[in-house]
Order: sequence, then C-alpha cells, then structure tokens
Amino acid sequence: MKKSLWLATGTVGLGLILGACAGESGGGDSSSESGDATQISFMHWRGEDKAVLDEIIADFEEANPDIRVEQNIYPSDQYQATAQRMLQEGSTGDVFTSFPGAQFESIESAGFFEDLSGEEFVSNFDESLITVGQKDGTQYALPYQLVFNMPVYNKGMFDELGLEVPKSWTEFQEMADTLLENDITPIAFPGADIGPNQFMNSMMMNNAPDEDIFEKLQNGDESLTNEWWVKTLEDFKLLADKGYIQDDALGTNQDSAMAMVANEEAAMLATGSYHMNSLLDLNPDLELDLLAPITVEESEATYEGINTATFMLAVNSNSDKKDQAKAFIDYLSQPEVASKYANETGQHLTVNDVEYESEALQNTSYWIDERNTRFQPRFLITNAQIEDAVLSSIENVLGGEDPMAAAEAAQQIVEENRE
Amino acid sequence: MRISKSIYLFFLPGLVLYSLFFLYPTISALFYSFTDWDGLSTAFQFVGIDNYTRAFTGDSIFQKTIGNNLKFMLTVVVFQTLVALAFALIVIKNTKTNVFLRALYFFPTILSSVSVAFIWAFIYDPSMGILNQVLELIGLDFLAQNWLGNANIAIYSLAITQVWFHAGQMLIIFVAGLQAIPEELYEVAKIEGASKWQTFKSVTWPLLAPSATIVVAYTTIQSFKAFDLVFAMTGGGPNNSTEIIATYIYDVAFKSYQFGYASAISIIFMVIIALITYLQFKALRSDRVSY
Repeated sequence: MKKSLWLATGTVGLGLILGACAGESGGGDSSSESGDATQISFMHWRGEDKAVLDEIIADFEEANPDIRVEQNIYPSDQYQATAQRMLQEGSTGDVFTSFPGAQFESIESAGFFEDLSGEEFVSNFDESLITVGQKDGTQYALPYQLVFNMPVYNKGMFDELGLEVPKSWTEFQEMADTLLENDITPIAFPGADIGPNQFMNSMMMNNAPDEDIFEKLQNGDESLTNEWWVKTLEDFKLLADKGYIQDDALGTNQDSAMAMVANEEAAMLATGSYHMNSLLDLNPDLELDLLAPITVEESEATYEGINTATFMLAVNSNSDKKDQAKAFIDYLSQPEVASKYANETGQHLTVNDVEYESEALQNTSYWIDERNTRFQPRFLITNAQIEDAVLSSIENVLGGEDPMAAAEAAQQIVEENRE
Repeated sequence: MRISKSIYLFFLPGLVLYSLFFLYPTISALFYSFTDWDGLSTAFQFVGIDNYTRAFTGDSIFQKTIGNNLKFMLTVVVFQTLVALAFALIVIKNTKTNVFLRALYFFPTILSSVSVAFIWAFIYDPSMGILNQVLELIGLDFLAQNWLGNANIAIYSLAITQVWFHAGQMLIIFVAGLQAIPEELYEVAKIEGASKWQTFKSVTWPLLAPSATIVVAYTTIQSFKAFDLVFAMTGGGPNNSTEIIATYIYDVAFKSYQFGYASAISIIFMVIIALITYLQFKALRSDRVSY
C-alpha cells in the first residue's frame, strides 16, 4: 500500500516538475530588464527588413545605452491573426506595427493603442499621410511606409514600343492590344494570392470615387449590385476575356507573376511599388514606373493611383515600458534614420525630409506630391468577412461567372455579415 | 481481491492533462458559443442560440464549407483507402524490397505540411508546374488544368495532395492488419479452389475490417481537420471553393474577431465529426469480425 502510494505520488510529482520546467523554458519574457538596460520588444511583420532594422537598432542602442530593442517578427498573415492576442498579454510588442483598416479598428476598439497625440515626434511625419492612424481626433498610430498599390510597369518596354501611359479606359485597351500584338501579356496577375486584393483598388478607384463607399456598403447604404461594383467586375471580366491578363491567372502566385515581368513576358505586375526592388533584383536592366488603369474616360477620372500609408508604428497601452517605446519611435522618425531605412528597403516613407537615393525611388517620388492618389479602398473595409466577399466576387468573375451574378452572391454575404 | 484506494492516484496525471487540454477548452468553447465574445475584450453578452441559428440559416459561406468538407472528405477517404490497401497488398511480404518500398511510401508522412504544400503548389502551377508539363509531353495536353485556380476542381486537387501526404501512414495500418490474418485461412481457400478475387472477398476483406475501420475513421477525421494544407496552398480560395470548416473557424475567430460565433461553429464541427465517425463504425461493424 505504502509503496504504491509513493509511486503514485512520485508520478504526479514528476509530472508537475516536468510541467513546470516546460512552462519556464517556453515562456521567456521578450521585454524584460536586461542587465542595467531595459529591453523592449518591437513587433512587426517585415521579415525582409530585419537586417536594416538590426543596423538601425544597433545605432539606437549606442545612442541610448539604457535601452535594448528586440525584434519579434511574424509573417504578415500570421501577424494579422495573432498580434492582438500578444498585445493583450503585454510582454511582446512594446512598440508594434499595425495595418490600417480592420486590424487598426480591432486594436483600437480593444484599447491597446497608447495615445500618441501630444508627442513631439508626431511632427516629424507628413501630416497629410498619418490621418489613417487617427480615430476621433486621437493619433493612435503613425504610418511609416508609403506604398503605391497599383501596377508596376516596364517603362523601357513601353518606350521601345512607342506606348504612352493610358489616360482613359479606351486608351488602356488600345495599349493592351498593342502589347498583345507584340506577344507580350499586358498584365501579370497573381490571382492565387495577392492579385485580387491589390488590383481591385486601382480598378475601382474611378468607378467609385466616393471614398466612403465601403463604409456605406457596411452600413447598408450601398450595394455591390450597384453600378460602381458591377462595372468594376465587368472591367475585370474584360481583362480576362481579351487576354489582357495571363491564362490561368487564378492559379498564378506572386513569384510566378514577378518572373513573367522580370523575363519581359508581361509588361505590368498587378501588385504595387513594394515589388519594384524585387523585380530589379531579378532583372537589373528593367526601367520601372507605376501605372494605374483608368477605367473611365479621361474627363471622368478623379484619381491617378492608389497609396497606402501602412506599417503604422504604435505603443502598446499594456506595456510598462512606454517611455522607452516612444524613444524608439522618436528615433525611427528622424530624417537620417528614416532615409537609411527607405533607401535600404526600397520604400517611400511618410517621414518628412527623407532623402531618396536609389534611382527607382527617385523616379517614382513624383507620385507622392505630384499625382492625385487615393488611400487604398480595401483598407476602408473594416469587416474581414465583407472584405472576403468583395474579393471573392473578383475571383468568381475571373473564374467565368457573370459579373451581376457574382455581385449578387457577394452582396448576400455582405448582408449576412452587416453589424 | 481488494483494490487499494491509492491506485486511483494513478488516474490523476491523465485526468489532469485530459481536463486541462481537452475538457476545459471544450467546455469553454461550448460556453462562449452562446456569447458574442470578440476574443479580446473582457466583456461579452449572452446571445442564446443566435450563433447556431446564424450558422444554419444566415451564413452561406459556412454552409458552403460543409459541402466543401464533404467533397474533400469523400475524395480523400475513397482514394486514400484504396491506394493504401492496393499498395499494402503489394508490399505485404517482408522482403528487403518491400521493406524499402514501405519506407518509401511512408516518406511523405514525415514531411511538414508546409513543405508538402510548397511542393504541390509547384506541381500544380498552371504555367511552370510539372503536372501540366508532363501531360503536354505525353500528348494529354487537353487534360492540363488550372488545378488550384479553377473553383470547380481546386478542392479535388487539394484532396489528391492529402492522399499523397497520408496514404503511406494508412498503408502501415493495412500491412499490420494483413499480416495478422492467419496463413491457414489462405491455404484452406486455395485447397477449396477459390480464385484470387474470391479469396480477397471472403477471407482478406472481412478479416481486414478492423484495420479498415481504423483507416476510414482516422482518414475521415484527418480530412475534416486538414487545416494546414488548405491554408498554405489556397487559403480557402478561389471564391471560397476550398474553404473548409477548419479554415473558416480560423477566419471567423482570428480575422473577424468573432470568437463566440467561431466557438459555435467549432461545436457544430465536433458534432459532425462524431456523427460521421459513429456511422462509419456502425457501417463497418468491425466489432463483429472474428476468426
């Protein structure tokens, strides 16, 4: 009896010890006091920027010896799904980044943003580009990157073929016909991943110039079966029917689409400015610029392109190292630091007085000041299921469905998910 | 014989683990399925059976995911069972070649699902993929497809990947089942002049039923929960044609922050799997098989 009791107790005890050991080893706190310095966690999704951020962090730590910064990087899909949970706990993401739109809304409603309105470093950012990080007059997050979510095109190829940037839907089709005549696919469309959610923005920007269109859709004041969206779907169908996008576009991922443009089999990549560096890595001889399809006649066009102020820097309200977190954002917003980040990652930024050194960035900088671009409409859909419905209708049309039928199917899902 | 009370302490570690990792989450999910909890706030409200009503009457995507799941499950169960059984019959004897072949067939099982997704996404790529290229090479280019981009066939393409991924695992179960059948029964069948088909039908298959039950039940559950492969290969697209219940629960919970509703779908999901598994056990009646 005694022996078996000891054995049982021992088994339980061993289990508890093992459990305790497992918890300790797996539960490392990423934002802790590290020696004399305070360690903060910088949580974001840009794995490709890790190296340059490591350099920036090293400089920051040299200037601020009492602060250590650790990067916690998650792939963007995973980040969108799990960031809120980690912020809630408070030990990760003293400084974190947020996407605009649904994620910003969700984090704001959960109360995880520290109010940055009164901070001096806010003035280091372009006032007109940081409104997306505000809610009810409070600055919760500061967008750092400025990307243009519109097709990248092979300017050298256009020059060679005597093509000009089309200013209307008619001119766009003429341009696409010329490319086809030269055995070039006009648009490489990565329909298997990011194609629909990127290209929808420029395809609809002039069909629905009202920037509140998706808010109205979510409120029930607009419908996907109205002309603005049905026409957008018809335009997508035209691209597919006339062969302006490659066959089997819904099975093409972004790597394959990029390869088509890099190999000059296709003239445009329907993603955004953030792919220009990658294209130049694949083919350094390319001369690139940005081109959004104008889907109306020239006189009716309101916008020339799409911009997104994203990678929004914020401080976690659950953090107990807010001052150190703010010091790091202050450092990132210094023009010389921002310039280093911009030039090494090939990104335009929202920070004032950034000096763009690379040819690709200089050649496209005119889009910031000289062109009338509109904030990415997709990010104004704050309900993820409604966003899915909108994107699915594009996939549906590219799969052969009639535009009105696809719009009706999507509208049904919108109505099911209205709050 | 009198059993000491201290023996019950041996149940404790298992009971604690079971309660912590299964019972508690299940009861929590059931509790939250009657709320509108967003997964982040501390506050929530009880909504009665609204989440369940919504799933069955007001959510066309959820209803579509059930259909997709059934298509996926049926394709996987039929093909995986047949492929595993056929290969098991081929490699049943313990020769060196067969041991090597069993290891070879089992190999995909040890790969990570993300690696499998990457390999098959490349195989299925409509322009650069090896599958379409091979079909063109052998003059069957009319069969070349947009395997993952065509909403009508994408779910079946995923099912084939799942079969490739897990058939080796089922093969091992079948081999063990086949090797447990007494040799004498085959000798009797031979003496009686039974053909190969008659031997399979009257000796092998009835005595293999317990293994078949395990294979079918396990394959069913596995195919219902094939989250990682679907997530990595299509993300549920195009047009929700490959969205299955598991990926939809993820979307609802972690993208839309409707944990209450996601919990309700999870409970429905659990009931569906339990029901199908029960029906399969009844249909295959493995408990009645005896020598």
